[in-house]
Amino acid sequence: MTSLSLSTPRSRPLISWRVRKLLIGYSYLVPAALCLLATVVVPIFFAVKMSLYADVLYKPQDYRFIGLGNYIRLLYDPVFWLTLQNSVVWVFGSVFLQFIFGFAAALLLQQAFTGRALVRTLTLLPWIIPGVVVGLIWQWLYQPNYGVINDLLIRAGAMSERIAWLSSPDYAMAAVVFTNVWRGIPFFAIMLLAGLQAVPDELYEAAHVDGAGVLSRFWHITLPLLRPIIVVSTATRIIWTFNYADLIFVMTGGGPANATQITSTYTLTQAYATLDFGYAGALSVVLLIVMLAFTWAYLRVTKGIEEPE
Amino acid sequence: MDDRTLLSRRKLLHYLAATGVIAAADLAWWDEPLIAPKKAWGATPVRFQWSVPEPTRIALMNSLAERFNQSQSDFAVQIEYVPQAQARQKLISSITGGNPPDLCQAWDNWIGQFNGMGAVEDITARAKAWKHYADVVPNAWQTVTINDKITSLPLAVTLDGIFYRTDRLKELGIKQPEPDWTWDDFLSIAKALTKTDKNQYGFGMRGSGTWALLYPSEFCYANGAEVLRDGKVVINSKEAIDALTWYLDLALKHKVVPPSVATDGFVEIVEAFGRGVTSMYLHNSGSTGQQKKNVGIDNFATIPLPIGPAKKRASFWFSETLTMFKGSKNKDGAWAFMSFLLEDEPSLKYNSTLGLLPARKSIIDRPEFSKDPAQAGFINSFPIGVVSPYLAYPGWGGKIDSDGVPLIQQAILGKIPAKDCLDRFAEILKKEMT
Repeated sequence: MTSLSLSTPRSRPLISWRVRKLLIGYSYLVPAALCLLATVVVPIFFAVKMSLYADVLYKPQDYRFIGLGNYIRLLYDPVFWLTLQNSVVWVFGSVFLQFIFGFAAALLLQQAFTGRALVRTLTLLPWIIPGVVVGLIWQWLYQPNYGVINDLLIRAGAMSERIAWLSSPDYAMAAVVFTNVWRGIPFFAIMLLAGLQAVPDELYEAAHVDGAGVLSRFWHITLPLLRPIIVVSTATRIIWTFNYADLIFVMTGGGPANATQITSTYTLTQAYATLDFGYAGALSVVLLIVMLAFTWAYLRVTKGIEEPE
Repeated sequence: MDDRTLLSRRKLLHYLAATGVIAAADLAWWDEPLIAPKKAWGATPVRFQWSVPEPTRIALMNSLAERFNQSQSDFAVQIEYVPQAQARQKLISSITGGNPPDLCQAWDNWIGQFNGMGAVEDITARAKAWKHYADVVPNAWQTVTINDKITSLPLAVTLDGIFYRTDRLKELGIKQPEPDWTWDDFLSIAKALTKTDKNQYGFGMRGSGTWALLYPSEFCYANGAEVLRDGKVVINSKEAIDALTWYLDLALKHKVVPPSVATDGFVEIVEAFGRGVTSMYLHNSGSTGQQKKNVGIDNFATIPLPIGPAKKRASFWFSETLTMFKGSKNKDGAWAFMSFLLEDEPSLKYNSTLGLLPARKSIIDRPEFSKDPAQAGFINSFPIGVVSPYLAYPGWGGKIDSDGVPLIQQAILGKIPAKDCLDRFAEILKKEMT
């Protein structure tokens, strides 16, 4: 007896190969997305929730939903507005000077000279030292009675009376900004140096042959080719500096008389000195909104700039 | 398939058996890491948070914990070292996270907040049944009692007094201050000790940290003022304003303090005295040990605060406490260790090494304290000691740091007058009277 078998047509897969490929791609992102969700999105959600409650840790009996109560309190808090002003001085003062000096350092380190590798390594030192240690070192350098800075300036005849750099409301902010500039120069120097090394020498040689001077080559070749790095590094640095509280916390604690109190140190104080986590949450959310608004505006303004011409 | 990578049934069974043995061994030591050395086999662990501002304290507490662990076999103390500046934050985070240590070292002005969070174990019954209960100075018990509930054991007590350089007074031909000296005596000595051209100042005033506000408050008491009277905040009374004005004039008018005063904290005032920049400062006995090293025992002395115009004076009592938490997993072990630290020898060792005063009367009377000239100013301050009024409400401690200190800094810098400073401070305190 012979049997007859009929071939059946291959059934269509439930998910097309194209969709399956797409899903596989997304599935690779799942671990990273979950990590981001757990470490960034969920804490932000909790901070927003916390900001809507009266949440003073040592008054658990008063814990209740107060809606925008903490935000309304912010509007009438003169220290908050002072901290915003101080933050602007702190952030833009620091980043502007870090960028200028960092760029100058990058241009110098790009030149060929004996011991360049050593100098490049040494340039990184301020960046390598932890922020708290930097704060402590500079606190002693600024010490008015036995600090090195006053001593050197008096010996050099630059001043006759000792200046209390960190204790005077007139000098304290400038002193902490200077320290932050010292610490941040290597960041820009290294970032821009990396960019400079990617600029082809042929461009400079061609411009030189065409009779372009040093300034002209800098303006028409170096700067345009470094624009993407400049945009990204300054944006990153501004966000970091806005949130960076270690240095001020160690050096002045926000004093004297709130002269160096920035929004991030004020948030810390509200959270850990007064244990007012609701109010601290509202301050954090405002910090987040300010940073989001800044980043959006910055990226809009620099749209097209980040791509080299 | 490569034999080397093949997981045979036999190998799998071996691995499973080994894992089972390790897990079974670990079950008995749930809180301990697997291969951790056991100092006292069979002892249950006691997690103890200890803040460490200096190496001496690390060595000291290590040796005391070691002694305790060797003295019995039921408990094994594990010390969790935390930098002093982060100690309070770390405790708050661990309480909020539901995993506090069994026991911690904390200052009494933190305990109000921890107690408000519902985190502090009530040790009243244990403390009252303790054999040394009656030997602890009553004021020390008061610093650790909230609403008739004993919250901690006072490991050490502190009172404020004036440190002064005897060698500089002799050098300048200035008469040594008498124990009943007055504000006028204080000011004239401070002026005589100030030589700005030589970078020398009479008084190391504190402008940073909690005590920047507490020290002038003590001067307010010497002028007849108080922080609380009949349940009302009266720190902005006329007496307080006059006293604060006099205190601020040390910086603003007489200029007998270093220019860095507005941000000078504990480290700065102690260092400035040790380096000869200042010749007097106000602090508790905790820096006597450091000054013995810095300037030598023969070159400085301590004395109670000067008498004010109201013929009064006051020195605020504080305690360095040992506090157990409700969330403790080993309350018996925590109690055993905290009471051990207040036994004769550990207490004597701890306090004499760090220059602090023990809370037990029988130990304070021992020659290590009563005959120590550096401690004289503090022991003589016992009769004028009052429990810090700022311990009255749990929210006050935090508000002093966040709002009070910037206010006093503004006053020290002459940006606001004493009246504004105290009026605003009183408002802040009133809002936190719950």
